[in-house]
Amino acid sequence: MLDLQLQITYLNDYTFGFIKTLLFYSFFKSLVGKDVVVELKNDLSICGTLHSVDQYLNIKLTDISVTDPEKYPHMLSVKNCFIRGSVVRYVQLPADEVDTQLLQDAARKEALQQKQ
Amino acid sequence: CWNQETEAAVSPLQWPENGDQWSDTEEGGIDMEECGLAAMAEEDEEINIYNNETFGSVVENEGHPINSLPQLDEQPPEPPSSPSLPSLSPSSPSFSPRTKPQFQIQFPPGLRGRGRVPRGGQAMAQMFEDPAVVTTVEGRQSLQVSHYSCVLVVEIDSLFTQTRSFLSSSPRPCPSTPQPLTPKMMQLRFGANSPRPFPFYSPSSNPVLFHRFPGPVTQLHPQHRRLLSQRQPRSQRKPDWDPYCNIMSAKEKEWIIRLQMIQLQSENPNLDDYYYQEYYRRMEAKLAEEELGMRGKREPPKLTTPYVTKTESYTPVVHIEGSLGQVAVSTCFNPRRAIDAVTAHCPHEELKDLRQQRLDVLKKIEKLFMVLLDVEEGQRMKAHVLGEGEESRLMERTQRKVEYIFSQFQNPSGDEFLPCLLVSKGKRLMARLLPFLSRDAALKVLRVVTFHLPILMSRDTDESLPVLYPPLRTVIGAVTFSQLIGVLKDFTASSPDSSDGSDCLSLACQSKFGLSLLYALLSQGERLLSSDVPLEPSIGDFETWTDTVFLVASQLSQSALVEPLLLPSNLLTLFCRYLDKRTVHQLKSNIESATGHLAPPS
Repeated sequence: MLDLQLQITYLNDYTFGFIKTLLFYSFFKSLVGKDVVVELKNDLSICGTLHSVDQYLNIKLTDISVTDPEKYPHMLSVKNCFIRGSVVRYVQLPADEVDTQLLQDAARKEALQQKQ
Repeated sequence: CWNQETEAAVSPLQWPENGDQWSDTEEGGIDMEECGLAAMAEEDEEINIYNNETFGSVVENEGHPINSLPQLDEQPPEPPSSPSLPSLSPSSPSFSPRTKPQFQIQFPPGLRGRGRVPRGGQAMAQMFEDPAVVTTVEGRQSLQVSHYSCVLVVEIDSLFTQTRSFLSSSPRPCPSTPQPLTPKMMQLRFGANSPRPFPFYSPSSNPVLFHRFPGPVTQLHPQHRRLLSQRQPRSQRKPDWDPYCNIMSAKEKEWIIRLQMIQLQSENPNLDDYYYQEYYRRMEAKLAEEELGMRGKREPPKLTTPYVTKTESYTPVVHIEGSLGQVAVSTCFNPRRAIDAVTAHCPHEELKDLRQQRLDVLKKIEKLFMVLLDVEEGQRMKAHVLGEGEESRLMERTQRKVEYIFSQFQNPSGDEFLPCLLVSKGKRLMARLLPFLSRDAALKVLRVVTFHLPILMSRDTDESLPVLYPPLRTVIGAVTFSQLIGVLKDFTASSPDSSDGSDCLSLACQSKFGLSLLYALLSQGERLLSSDVPLEPSIGDFETWTDTVFLVASQLSQSALVEPLLLPSNLLTLFCRYLDKRTVHQLKSNIESATGHLAPPS
């Protein structure tokens, strides 16, 4: 399941205003309902079902479990969580739910659009 | 279209008439000691200062809104010098009877002196019908209004009091009842001249479509929704009791959510939401195809992609002359280069090192991909109703692009497919291009692939060769007998690329792609021979054919075989025709042991 890891990078330019880069929003939308593992920048890894995502790539997970429960006992009672997008380091995805060729095409289109 | 949200019209507003009477916070308000909220007021002050710096300075310096709602980014005009406030009747339904609201409006520094807050704080309450604003109890509130920004920042310290009491005791209904947004409020919130926001609508007038997940106004692709409802059983319900459920009313939550969803409205969902739309469209198409019973030897569907607009080229600054490394500032117009893919222009081909050459090839392939996306979109457009002239022009344009890609693929010198074909991205490009090529061009590609098969197989480290199999199989299915013989000759000849003299045939037995290609060729020959179509063979064709069959048969019976991508059904029939029973039997068992199941009976 966890063969594919994508690192999310943000390109936000505050000088010129908010530029819509919705590629990964669209991408994660297609993964709603699937099981993912979110690794945060504080090294916490949370496994859960992707409930929703927004354009900032904030993530809501349901039925979560921490991959390292002994290290983070305070998470034992948590069932659902909201993760701010900016603290995410990695999102591990099920490989067969991702069409990498389609993602490449989407990135090409986005690159064209951004040039405008 | 299921992706659209409901909309309602909102008429433009007028700035309140007595805005010049708004004053600074210092001059008014309830005595803080009266409600004992001094500490909170101090905290408020700090927040006010922060917000002034954030929003107020924007107003002063640029006048551009920090605007996350794309439709609402027009700069509103100067408010009239003497705007007046609507009057509030004490019996306004927006207040809970037991509270006495007091408001102070604090303007960002840029607007100070222009207006003064009315002493009658009640006047403001009806203006700002944001449900969060209306919830008040005694105490000093301060409202930050940024005239030019559509973000309404509100601190109501009294709200904290209320929420705390919520948490400690049993929940009770929220005292505020959000009223429909009047035009005046819309104006204040989003600026005087902003276009009517789409699809914003007043909370009470339109019922909201609640989906079970992930949120009230998220529209899922029907295929996605079907998948989710299948996956999650009904038992996965939210708990009946939620102690925090009444902190915000349903309408307040809706308002917040819609505020965010507005930002996601796009006039072009096909492009902005490309991945999601396309992913589920393909899934739907695949499932539909499966349901029609087209199982078994299913070929992967052609990848069609929607349109891509041609834009003026933009060259970002990625390298500053004389500096080392990458440009420091990263913006979305000028992202930090992750890899040094930008080439310094080198005049002589031979001087470029291997790495540079590889980067050149990759860059070229990427450019060709852009054109290919155009081509595929052109084909998709063909399905739509176009005028007679339009369609022919479109086809002409598409054909020219196809020819362009084909010629570029072969390198400027032509006939040099290898540099691009050796890269897996190049193989993918060719696989998607093949269906568009003319018969001759496609045949040329087939011959090139067969001719260079050994080197292609040996350099195929990430096993991307099989991506070429389906389109090539289609090409093989259309070749004539003579053409087939020509291709087969390449197969059986000793390879020009290999140094140890091993021939293509023995290598092919070890490669999924090579073996499948061989099977496909033989299958086509058998098909042609057993059909009634006149073959028109050249001299020596039949001999070559027979020789090839014997050669292949002996090779196949000797070597260990890998499992092919596809085992044609008429293969054994072919061998039976030429070989004795014993050899056929041996062949059969050899092939079967590779595929792991019985070959179709001869």
